[in-house]
Amino acid sequence: MIPRYQKIVVLVLLVVSIGMAAVLVRLRERAHDRLLKGEDLAPTTAPAVAPAEQATLLVANDMDGAMATEAQSLPLPKDSEARARALVERLLELYAEPGSTHPVPGVPRAVLQVFLLAAPEGKGAPSAGQLAVVDLAGGFADGHPSGILTEALTVESICATLHANLPQIAEVRFLVDGQPRATLAGHADLTRTYLTGDAVGGSQPDGSATTP
Amino acid sequence: MAWSLSRNARLFALAGGAALSLGNARLGLSQTNGGPAGPRFVVVLDAAHGGEDGGGQVGASGGGTGEAEKTLTLALSVRLRSLLTARGFTVITTREGNVNLTADARAQTANHATASAVGGSACISLHASEAGTGVHIFVSSLAPGGTGRFLPWKTAQSAFIPRSLRLAGTVNSALEHTTVAGGGAIGAAGADSGPIPATLGRAALPGVDSMTCPAVAVEMAPIRGADRRVVTEVTDPEYQTQFVEALASALLAWKTDLETDGPRAGGSQP
Repeated sequence: MIPRYQKIVVLVLLVVSIGMAAVLVRLRERAHDRLLKGEDLAPTTAPAVAPAEQATLLVANDMDGAMATEAQSLPLPKDSEARARALVERLLELYAEPGSTHPVPGVPRAVLQVFLLAAPEGKGAPSAGQLAVVDLAGGFADGHPSGILTEALTVESICATLHANLPQIAEVRFLVDGQPRATLAGHADLTRTYLTGDAVGGSQPDGSATTP
Repeated sequence: MAWSLSRNARLFALAGGAALSLGNARLGLSQTNGGPAGPRFVVVLDAAHGGEDGGGQVGASGGGTGEAEKTLTLALSVRLRSLLTARGFTVITTREGNVNLTADARAQTANHATASAVGGSACISLHASEAGTGVHIFVSSLAPGGTGRFLPWKTAQSAFIPRSLRLAGTVNSALEHTTVAGGGAIGAAGADSGPIPATLGRAALPGVDSMTCPAVAVEMAPIRGADRRVVTEVTDPEYQTQFVEALASALLAWKTDLETDGPRAGGSQP
């Protein structure tokens, strides 16, 4: 026969267990409510975009071998390297559009990166301006039409567009998929350093070429 | 950059007449009319591309397959060589067949050939493209300079820029005297006959930049109307005939000018 005090202890333990379970369930519900209250249920805000700014693009024309100035309103990042990349990307997008004056097939992300470095010092002359290293996608270079005129215009319009919007860029070099490449599509020399702006017509002692 | 600097330090173009190795370049000499002192006037024809480097595909605007740039430039080089040889020129070609040639090998061939020319020289690099309209005449974008006996290999052409610009002007003048279907189409919707439209420009050109002679790169493109549609393909026989005859006339005028003004006006010596 079970002693009476043991029955009382079991009963008390049972009541306490039920009570504790009820408290735990209640605490869980309250914690869940607190989490829900802490969540921001508002719609996700759009990522911060750069404000649109006026940019100047130098757009090539195959028919006369010239470049025309075209003003465009573009969202340009504050960072100079990102800004340079956005400008060149937009220029190459224009070339890929139907009816382009300088048709070049477009590829997604044609410009992998643009690096801005201090321009190397000349012989006895201080460094002036910046050197932009434009890293083009291999798909873009491989799909570029072949020819002296079309390749030279692509290179020159990139250089001129960079200098028009970022005047501190005095020199431009090109990479393709992060590697040096002899020519863009068989003609335009990509091993050279291209001078921009006031330096047009000049040449660096290391054999750098110029934009005409 | 370090590569180009060290290469510049090692490689020099001997502009004063020293011999250079021809490497594996295939050199075609169609006529030698000079004695031990070398021919009086030399024309170097460089048919662009060749071998595994086919260049672009041209003549395909009408929906056909067209042909490789290397094939067209070689055909133009052969035709031009025949025309010039018939007029008494000494002609050197950088290639006579479908062979691989580096830009340096082409410049070596040109520099070796023109170094011994005592009466002047001209170097023509022949190209073809589907982009643009008419004929594009390019001179190296190097700044003028670099006089002296030894010239940096990659910028040897800088000593010849003024003469190369004059040669480009002579070629441009000769093209103005041609008549080809569609030549009058610029600015008009029709396909009237007229001179081959020409565009002059400057560009960084591997090979040409190392040549120690008055040098131009001449690129043949289809003739387009104002609506950018192709009126005359680069594969058109009449267009090609007009093109090579214009180049031959230009070289004849260039040679005549040199004989009038003296070899210093456009010869091989910087």
